[in-house]
Amino acid sequence: MDQTIPEVIRTVPLQYYVFFASALFAIGVTGVLVRRNAIIIFMCVELMLNAVNILLTAFSAYRADPNGQIFVFFIMAVAAAEVSVGLGIIVMIYRNFQTTDVNLLSRLKW
Amino acid sequence: MTSIILLSIFGILNLFMGFMRSNKVLLPGAMLLLLAVFGANLADWNVVHAPYFNNMLVVDNYTVAFTGIVVLTTIVLLPFSRSYVVAGETNLAEYYALLLFSLVGAVMMIGYNHLIMLFVGIEILSISMYVLAGSSKRDSRSNEAALKYFLMGAFATGILLFGIALLYGATGTFVLSDLAGAVAAPENASLQPMLYIGILMMIIGIGFKVSAAPFHFWTPDVYEGTPTFFTAFMSTVVKTAGFAAFLKLLAVALPGAQGFWLPTIQAMCALTLLLGNVGAAVQTSTKRMLAYSSVSHAGYLLIGLVASRGNLTGDAASGIFFYSLAYSIATIAAFGVLKLVADHRQRDDYAALNGLGKTNPLLAFSMTVAMLSLAGIPLTGGFFGKFFLLAAAAGQGYIGLVVFAVIMSMVGLYYYLRPLIAMYLRPAEEGATPVPVDGIQTATLALLALLSIVLGIVPGFLSGIL
Amino acid sequence: MQETVLPGANAPYSTLLYVLIPLLPFLGFLLNGLLNRKLSGTVAGLIGSATVLGSFLISVMLFLNFEYQYTVQLFDWISVGSLQIPFQYQIDQLSLIMLLLVTGVGFLIHVYSIGYMHHDENVGKFFSFLNLFIFSMLLLVMGANFVILFIGWEGVGLCSYLLIGFWNKNTAYNNAAKKAFIINRIGDLGFLLGIFLIYLTFDSVQYAEVFQKASTMQIGTGVITAITLLLFVGAMGKSAQLPLYTWLPDAMAGPTPVSALIHAATMVTAGIYMVLRANVLFTLAPDTLQVVAIVGAATALFAATIGLAQNDIKKVLAYSTVSQLGYMFLALGVMGYSTSLFHVLTHAFFKALMFLGAGSVIHAMSNEQDLRRMGGLRKALPITFLTFLIGCLAISGIPPFSGFFSKDEILAHAFEHNKVLWAMGLLTAFLTAFYMFRLLFLAFFGEFRGTAEQKHHLHESPASMTFPLIVLAVLAAVGGFMGAPMFTGGHHYLAEYLAPIFTYSQRLLPAAFNAEPDHNTELMLMGLSVAAGLLGIILAYVFYVVRAQRPAEEEAQRSGPESLVYHKYYIDELYNAVFTRPIMALSNGLYKFVENGIINPVVGVFGRAVNGGGTLLRYVQTGAVETYLILMVIGIVLILGLNFGRF
Repeated sequence: MDQTIPEVIRTVPLQYYVFFASALFAIGVTGVLVRRNAIIIFMCVELMLNAVNILLTAFSAYRADPNGQIFVFFIMAVAAAEVSVGLGIIVMIYRNFQTTDVNLLSRLKW
Repeated sequence: MTSIILLSIFGILNLFMGFMRSNKVLLPGAMLLLLAVFGANLADWNVVHAPYFNNMLVVDNYTVAFTGIVVLTTIVLLPFSRSYVVAGETNLAEYYALLLFSLVGAVMMIGYNHLIMLFVGIEILSISMYVLAGSSKRDSRSNEAALKYFLMGAFATGILLFGIALLYGATGTFVLSDLAGAVAAPENASLQPMLYIGILMMIIGIGFKVSAAPFHFWTPDVYEGTPTFFTAFMSTVVKTAGFAAFLKLLAVALPGAQGFWLPTIQAMCALTLLLGNVGAAVQTSTKRMLAYSSVSHAGYLLIGLVASRGNLTGDAASGIFFYSLAYSIATIAAFGVLKLVADHRQRDDYAALNGLGKTNPLLAFSMTVAMLSLAGIPLTGGFFGKFFLLAAAAGQGYIGLVVFAVIMSMVGLYYYLRPLIAMYLRPAEEGATPVPVDGIQTATLALLALLSIVLGIVPGFLSGIL
Repeated sequence: MQETVLPGANAPYSTLLYVLIPLLPFLGFLLNGLLNRKLSGTVAGLIGSATVLGSFLISVMLFLNFEYQYTVQLFDWISVGSLQIPFQYQIDQLSLIMLLLVTGVGFLIHVYSIGYMHHDENVGKFFSFLNLFIFSMLLLVMGANFVILFIGWEGVGLCSYLLIGFWNKNTAYNNAAKKAFIINRIGDLGFLLGIFLIYLTFDSVQYAEVFQKASTMQIGTGVITAITLLLFVGAMGKSAQLPLYTWLPDAMAGPTPVSALIHAATMVTAGIYMVLRANVLFTLAPDTLQVVAIVGAATALFAATIGLAQNDIKKVLAYSTVSQLGYMFLALGVMGYSTSLFHVLTHAFFKALMFLGAGSVIHAMSNEQDLRRMGGLRKALPITFLTFLIGCLAISGIPPFSGFFSKDEILAHAFEHNKVLWAMGLLTAFLTAFYMFRLLFLAFFGEFRGTAEQKHHLHESPASMTFPLIVLAVLAAVGGFMGAPMFTGGHHYLAEYLAPIFTYSQRLLPAAFNAEPDHNTELMLMGLSVAAGLLGIILAYVFYVVRAQRPAEEEAQRSGPESLVYHKYYIDELYNAVFTRPIMALSNGLYKFVENGIINPVVGVFGRAVNGGGTLLRYVQTGAVETYLILMVIGIVLILGLNFGRF
């Protein structure tokens, strides 16, 4: 076990990471499109962000450039902030409407 | 940089001022703090600063100019929060603090030189806006706006980030100037598709934030549901910062791939103009009309991006600066008047403005100037905003786009005249009382009208600064 | 001939003097606007008139001491990248004449308005708008580049909008104002695009630079044709040419002095001014000139036909204005540039005179505008009648009144150019004489047909109103001598004075400027046009004085009494069947089917398309987040997919 973490990452070819991340991202997008529960939609968005994280980490390791991994930290921090605000909004919605179904909220239109 | 530091400190300060439980000091306090920021920002004009934080942030004239717009916009917006003060809103300090923090995000979006800064800036601004959109907790419309904005905004952020990741994969850097080189001369042709998909996804992500079609669908709904005070902030500060960031991205980092992204931007531009103007024409609510109109203005600003050709200075960039300024001034005035009227008359359709010319001549005049400026009638700032952008595009030979934009501005005239007709030609309802306006709001509205007209008569002093 | 002095020549007077010309009316606007409620009507009127008089006097001074063309630089206005626009005035023969016209006629109309608007509650507002109009119009004619011209252009449009809707309690008036504004914007669109194209082509919008560069180009260059066509679209809107003329008749909803000033004498001639200003470009584009000539002649004839059957005194004058503007464009189209300006001037005199006269009649009749309710007014309103008669003689082209000379010159130019256009012009001249005298006879001759109350109230207008009438009548009578070589020893003063404006055009196409018809042809043409005018007058006299015909009421019942006198009117019936009916039917038909049936709906289609599109859009905007997200993803897929081949 004398390999560094980037070396371990590099044992898998880069395109696998790209395909994996893209698939994860696509699953996230699909989830956003097909689910109606606000919380689940939001979780799917998180999935998309995690796909991005994986992609950035892989690129970062392959290029031996720390910038990508630092970006991942920022994404995680910001996503945490987003989660707290998002859950706050969803809780507020639930209090007022007793539901988290996004399609029931369509008074603003046209 | 000083402005970012000051805004952050002042934001925290504002939160502490909230402990005093005295809303009366908050409003003038926040305005004074912002004036200080405005001054500190101007002090950086023509001063050469080394890039901050390892080349992540630059403060140059471009940054100072656009920061000036967003700070000034916020200053003139604040007086219209009076109703919160009067109503004894308990969270007022938090609102102001959020506004100040979101300005930090805006300044980062304007001054970024590294994609991390762009991302962090966008998120600071957006997350504050999600909160403010839902700030009216008992109002179902505000709730709905917050949820829609949040879900779609988070989704767009995901797209933007995926784009950034692909761009990073293709070029190995986040720094704009390095990106420019890597995009112009790709190290490896096999990475080209990844690069191009990355560019498109970034354009889509930022396009969402500035409500460019076909990613504008959230705009009318969110703008309508959000409390008017914050809608005004969204449609000015967020848009200005978004376009400053957009222009910088395209002109500094991606000019090498201009041939690739230009058709997409052109198509988005034409579509935005069309959908924004046509959508606005059929609205019955003034607020929703203004929301669509802000979409259409995104279209005009996109013309500036088309004509920018890798330049952060010159015709197109100056045009975007001037247009953003004129647009922000007029929009704040329009939303300001609308908020005052809607608070008093409890409605926000065109009929709410009926007879305003008789009951409140100043409000009506201010609204008139704002509408004429937004419509682009000469002797208002809006005319020169459009003129500069279209002249820049015409100068580059994009005649088709210019013709289309001018035709669309005709459509714009149709809906911008409707508030005027309501105000001057329709009688007020029986027993309509004048809308109460306090001294500082009066002064602000007069100042905004004056600024619009001054920009329309002597645009020279601001037109060529970039 | 005097050589054009290129800008750079120093202004002979201090800049302040030039600033004052538009600034005085602007001060009047501010004073009247800010002190609206506090000033009495007369004081407001005096302020308004005095400021315009001041501008007029300065203009006269400049005119008398004028020696060479120059520009006056006020300040560096705009500089963005390569776009440099200084705020400059252009002082040359063309702008001086327009200055005199705008301030001179403007002053007279201001004075008239003191009397006319006496009873109105918002006199201050009225004069402030009127002053603002003069200010914008002065900017329009003095500017040294297309951008200032455009700003003045939009400014006058805005004032026109405000003044048409001045009595805004009436919805129909508001609609008229809106229509005027929107149709004008369609024209402005073309103009603005023309300016952008000029900037793209010449890299400048300064007159001096653009025309200098243009003068070295080939005749018939495609881009110049495009520019001039776009500019002409602008002129069509502002100067009410087919098919963008419909706003002008509706604009009569405004107070009468407004109709006289804006919709007859000054603003509507802005389009002609613009073409004259850009005459080099138009000379370079013979195709455009052809279009201009055809549109002009068609408008002249078309509007004259509609004018035949109108019963509203101001509507008749409005259609006549459209028709006369058509003449001016016809003159431009056949390269009679100075002739066109000649007609602008004489038309300003006699049409302003007739509008003011009509105003005097309306004033005396307690706001009655229907010709069927008038009659016999010449005894009650002698000054109005006499001056109006002079106006009618002038517009009908009867020598030696002013309209004769300018119209004759236009027809002569048209004759050389194209016989069909000339014939259309001649026919128009006949129709013009007929409907103008129809108006005159119906209003001033015969029995009074109004109510007893109106009859009791009849009075000649106050001096403030008759004074401008008399001055304008004198001008309308003798104004033609500035361009009447045969009476002034072979001098066509106006054409000689204006020649430097057309230096470049003349160099490009000398033939068009030197052609002189031989004397006999000239006399023949002159005789024909006078004959056409006289014939029109005689026919009108026969119909409306001798036979005392009255236009039919809207829902006229041809009943008992008429059938009793059937035989007595047998000849009339014949006349009717042969002349009147077909002409009136044609006139009404054109009005109903072409104007209401084609032009208005076509303009309306644009609006409906927007509304329809917007409604369609609302179906997409369902309010459900899900829909939006799906649409967004569709957008993303589309963008990626359409770019797929280019990766």
